[in-house]
Amino acid sequence: MGIMIEDLTVTFKNKVTAVGHANLEIPKGIFGLLGENGAGKTTLMRVLTTVLSPSSGTVTLDGILYSEGNYEKIQRKIGYLPQEIDLYPSLTVQECLEYMGDLSGISKQIYKERIQYYLEKTSLTEHRKKKMKQLSGGMKRRVGLIQALLNEPEFLIVDEPTTGLDPEERIRIRNLLVDFSEGRTILFSTHVVEDLAATCNQLAIMKKGCFLYAGNIQELLEYAKGNVWDFVTDDSAQVKELEKKYLISAKQHTENGIQMRILSKEKPNLDCRPDKATLEDAYIYLTNQSW
Amino acid sequence: MKYEVKISLPVYKISYAVFFIVMLSLVRGVTDSYEIGIASEAPMAMLAVCVFADTYTKEITSMRSEIWRLRPLKKRMYSIYRRIVIQWIFLLFAAVVGYGLFFLFQNPRTIDMGQNSLENETGQFFIYLSAIAVTLLFWGLLSNLLSCLFRNMWIGIGGCLILWLTANSSIGDKYLGAWNLFSYTFRDVENSGDFRWICGKIVCICVDVIMMAMLPNIIRKRG
Repeated sequence: MGIMIEDLTVTFKNKVTAVGHANLEIPKGIFGLLGENGAGKTTLMRVLTTVLSPSSGTVTLDGILYSEGNYEKIQRKIGYLPQEIDLYPSLTVQECLEYMGDLSGISKQIYKERIQYYLEKTSLTEHRKKKMKQLSGGMKRRVGLIQALLNEPEFLIVDEPTTGLDPEERIRIRNLLVDFSEGRTILFSTHVVEDLAATCNQLAIMKKGCFLYAGNIQELLEYAKGNVWDFVTDDSAQVKELEKKYLISAKQHTENGIQMRILSKEKPNLDCRPDKATLEDAYIYLTNQSW
Repeated sequence: MKYEVKISLPVYKISYAVFFIVMLSLVRGVTDSYEIGIASEAPMAMLAVCVFADTYTKEITSMRSEIWRLRPLKKRMYSIYRRIVIQWIFLLFAAVVGYGLFFLFQNPRTIDMGQNSLENETGQFFIYLSAIAVTLLFWGLLSNLLSCLFRNMWIGIGGCLILWLTANSSIGDKYLGAWNLFSYTFRDVENSGDFRWICGKIVCICVDVIMMAMLPNIIRKRG
């Protein structure tokens, strides 16, 4: 059944509306959440994890309404990796995870098995005796992800899980999430469009507290299809002029000059050729078209 | 339990507590051994306020509270209570060491009762230990409760400080008498048979029970 969000509004005490009249359905599988900083993604996730109560609107998880009386039932179904978290610096990786496992109310034998399994999956086995404060940012993210997976939640919310990871680790974590998503719902928030392209089918794009788009990635790509143009020039003055005139999704120095990806509905009056739209192109195109 | 000890008693906390009791036993002058309790109770209460203030708020400042709230309340409370007990035992141990340090640094006069001298001195120590145990738990729990309620350890410390200043003053002694939270400090030292100060400690214990009962609700609602 997944998650249903209907007419959700979150307004803070200082009258700032972080999420305004949002509607969304999050089905089973990995669901991507994209948006610029301050778009309301973290606020939405904090509502879904019951940290924040909505000002109005309703949210249901597998048919269970988000209300104070149901919070404990809902919380048992959720795993969460917040964007910023500082896990116990004086404990080792193993100790920290055992502590979180115990706090989850799972039996000792089960959480020990799961810890071992996920440490291997995230290449942290050799670091398990290191103290949390000795870990790099990427390693801490991975430990954070393991703690979210420990109780094998039905609904997993991960906020920027691949931040600070090297490319190989990113792929490993993405694959881990894909494996984990079988029969479950994962809300995957990230700035790395590439991660979403590699893991999910469905996504939502947020801007200023509203959903600009919610649906299939293929449909989003269709939306940008025919609007991406490749252009190469060695004239830097022309580059500056084009940057003022068009949306540029990429710029690169090559042997032939400066290669640009121009996003435009009409073919620019240049010697350019159409190119296949990427998810990043579609995201930039959509977020700049609508506002 | 081992992990809880590591979490609730980091090196900096042990260091400032040790520094505090060493300084207290060096700086606060006592002439007779029965003055040690008077010299220790109120300062040790303030130490408890500082030590207990982040029992749970450390989860808030580190953003771990967001994942804590997804765990069963019973387990969360069990963890918080364990931290309270660990910190309380640590402070109790510090209070005992502090008592000894007063003897070491200042060599106060002991109760001169002939053959029963040692016996009386031991009895006095155990009375001190009982009184300080109640005091430490009360101020620690209060500090933790206020910190959890306002999700800020500084409000917890500040709130306790106001009460501490009121109770540990001549006004507090005048108006509250034997019911004062620091009744042991203000007891009649000339009359060793006067145990009316126990009333103040009973007040502390009663409030402790209320605070312990309130804590799960605060944690559930404030997270």
